[in-house]
Amino acid sequence: MESALLRTGFRRAMVACQNPAKRRVARQPRRFFATPVEPQGEASELQSAPDAVYASNGGRAAKSRARAERVNKDRAVSDHDQTFQAAPQIRFTSDGEQFSSSRPSAELIENDTASRRGRGGYGGGPPGRGGAASYGRGPPNQEDDPSRNILRHIRIVPASPSYFTATPRYTDDLLALSALLRKHQLLPLLPPGEAPRVAWKTIDQYKTELAEPIRSKSYNTLLQLLKRLNYIHPSLIPDEVTESLEKYKRDVQPHLNVPNPIIVNQYGVAKAVGRRKSSSAQVYLVEGTGECLINGKSLTEYFGRLHDRESAIWALKATQRLDKYNVWALAAGGGTTGQAESITLGVARALLAHEPDLKPALRRAGCVTRDPKRVERKKPGKLKARKMPAWVKR
Amino acid sequence: MILRSLLLRQGRFALPRSTLIRPFRRYLASQIEETYTNPHQHQQFIAGADGDATKSQAATSLSAESEVLDNDPVALNYALQQHSKAVTGKIGSMVEPHYRPHELLSNPPSPKDITLELLMASQSHIGHSTSLWHPANAKYIFGVRGEDGHPIHIISLDVTAAHLRRACKVVSGVTERGGLVLFVGSREGQARCVVNAASMSKGCHLFTKWIPGTITNGQQILGKCKKKVVNHKDEEVKGFEDQLIQKAAVKPDLVVCLNPLENYVLLHECALNNIPTVGIVDTDVNPTWITYPIPANDDSLRCVQLIAGVLGRAGQEGQAVRRELALTGQLPARQDHGLEPPAEQETDERNSRDKEHGRNLLQAGDV
Repeated sequence: MESALLRTGFRRAMVACQNPAKRRVARQPRRFFATPVEPQGEASELQSAPDAVYASNGGRAAKSRARAERVNKDRAVSDHDQTFQAAPQIRFTSDGEQFSSSRPSAELIENDTASRRGRGGYGGGPPGRGGAASYGRGPPNQEDDPSRNILRHIRIVPASPSYFTATPRYTDDLLALSALLRKHQLLPLLPPGEAPRVAWKTIDQYKTELAEPIRSKSYNTLLQLLKRLNYIHPSLIPDEVTESLEKYKRDVQPHLNVPNPIIVNQYGVAKAVGRRKSSSAQVYLVEGTGECLINGKSLTEYFGRLHDRESAIWALKATQRLDKYNVWALAAGGGTTGQAESITLGVARALLAHEPDLKPALRRAGCVTRDPKRVERKKPGKLKARKMPAWVKR
Repeated sequence: MILRSLLLRQGRFALPRSTLIRPFRRYLASQIEETYTNPHQHQQFIAGADGDATKSQAATSLSAESEVLDNDPVALNYALQQHSKAVTGKIGSMVEPHYRPHELLSNPPSPKDITLELLMASQSHIGHSTSLWHPANAKYIFGVRGEDGHPIHIISLDVTAAHLRRACKVVSGVTERGGLVLFVGSREGQARCVVNAASMSKGCHLFTKWIPGTITNGQQILGKCKKKVVNHKDEEVKGFEDQLIQKAAVKPDLVVCLNPLENYVLLHECALNNIPTVGIVDTDVNPTWITYPIPANDDSLRCVQLIAGVLGRAGQEGQAVRRELALTGQLPARQDHGLEPPAEQETDERNSRDKEHGRNLLQAGDV
């Protein structure tokens, strides 16, 4: 009996020396007995606990039990008589394929409590689909809960299908707009030139927003799509199109910044503002008999120069309405010419509020445009804005 | 309705035929019943196509009469036009099922629909002039046809069909295992079929010029493009953003190239990185550039759209298989991502810290 044991032991040792994998297997019987061996009567109790772990592995469990019994007998003599507490149940794996080459060597084992693992062990699992799905795959495991072994089921993918274009956000925008256009290309359009005026984002604004290197040619393609979508008749334009277009419009639409219209109030008074050089004038125009007061003074009192008097009420003179309207003006800033010309503009604007059809006539008279000229500043090296000092040969 | 019209036309008090009355009369007219139903409606030219797919995309988006809120004459006229079209469109001659170009894009055929007739109808047998051929393609060529001055090579369609079916298997196999397929087609008119094929296979598309170095120098070119981590159910998994910043650019697992002559740089990069390629090999293309060539006509848009559509469907089938496996928990797991489990406590602390300071988390790929 003992010789047979020794023989098997030697044989196992020789095999273990040759094959490193078997070395581990050879050591396994010792691992089964981390708890100290107790007399035969109590040994059966200990064995019943590990048996629960191996419930599903009939043959293997039987072998290990047999081996355990044999080693038990050997050890019973050598152990000391201390009483010990039973150690907590140890987790074992009876996975036959744990060291196979197809299995990845690194495995994440998360916070597995022994009870979870011990419950039934590994099931056989249904056989894998023939031929398919053999990429780095462990045994198909019903207990393999994806939420626990998250690393086994994740993969890195591009966030957008346009990843390999190197400008994914631009490409996605372009595709979205193209799809919209294709969907709504049969809707009626506005006549050419009558589309609502929109200030689209500049290429720099768009590039900054997307943080991608976009060529101007590419952006122009996008703009063409936007302009085409903008032409859809407003009574039939779908909401999704309107929403998509909003993203590409500038935050401030300059053409929406229109001046307040000059209206004639309940008393028949129209108030307008005119400016020239550094003067400004507020002008109140009402239908009347032809009186004119500037800063409380009459026209002749305020302006000494005839030219200035004439230009102040030029709008009324050019349209032959001198005796039809009364003027009340408050001029401030600048000098005489500036104030006179600012009153001209104010009167013209107020007159347009009363009679809008006079616009061509006033334009021909030169009252409608605000003269943007200002006094040019003096520059260093020159005597005035432009005047150069006398040229000296040396 | 009939009485009304009699009164208007022949009655003693016949009303003048003004433009105002007629549109309103039609507007209020009762629905004309469909007196004719197409007996061939059930026959499908391309298997798998349903009735909805044959309508043009624009027609399906038409607004119903009830949706016209404005009294704008343009809107009213448009509604009237749609109503007349719906009512009278089917009256008339019997239209046999026939080829409709847009169906290749809106409802492409499946790998099981590959027939020699379909390939021939799509002009995939037409090769280039015999003087421009690549001799390595000899085994794909059926013969020479054409006038004395300008003979061209004809590609064997049975060879084409076999290679196309093989390519379909490759694409569906890659998608079954969670691989990334990149569809490339940079010629004019190929953009739509490339995008469609990529969306069916849940892969990537490229219809503009391939930037040399996208694979070999991915860190530089694609460094700023965002990546994400998904699980076996294709749901995004948060918590790996910091790790993704350090990760290399994603490489495709399979590249499908619809015009290899213009994209030889792409094919060379794939070869350097051991990425298999599928491509349409015309008679003047070097077949050794491509792992799984499909001998066909790369100049015919119809042929290219057919092949792209079929490969897209193959990818779609592979994705369906993958989805099934994922739901039953039998999915193959790739272990080459090199990610570590996100430290949950650390991320919570970081989140709270950032909220206090009002800083935004640095997203993976942001400048």
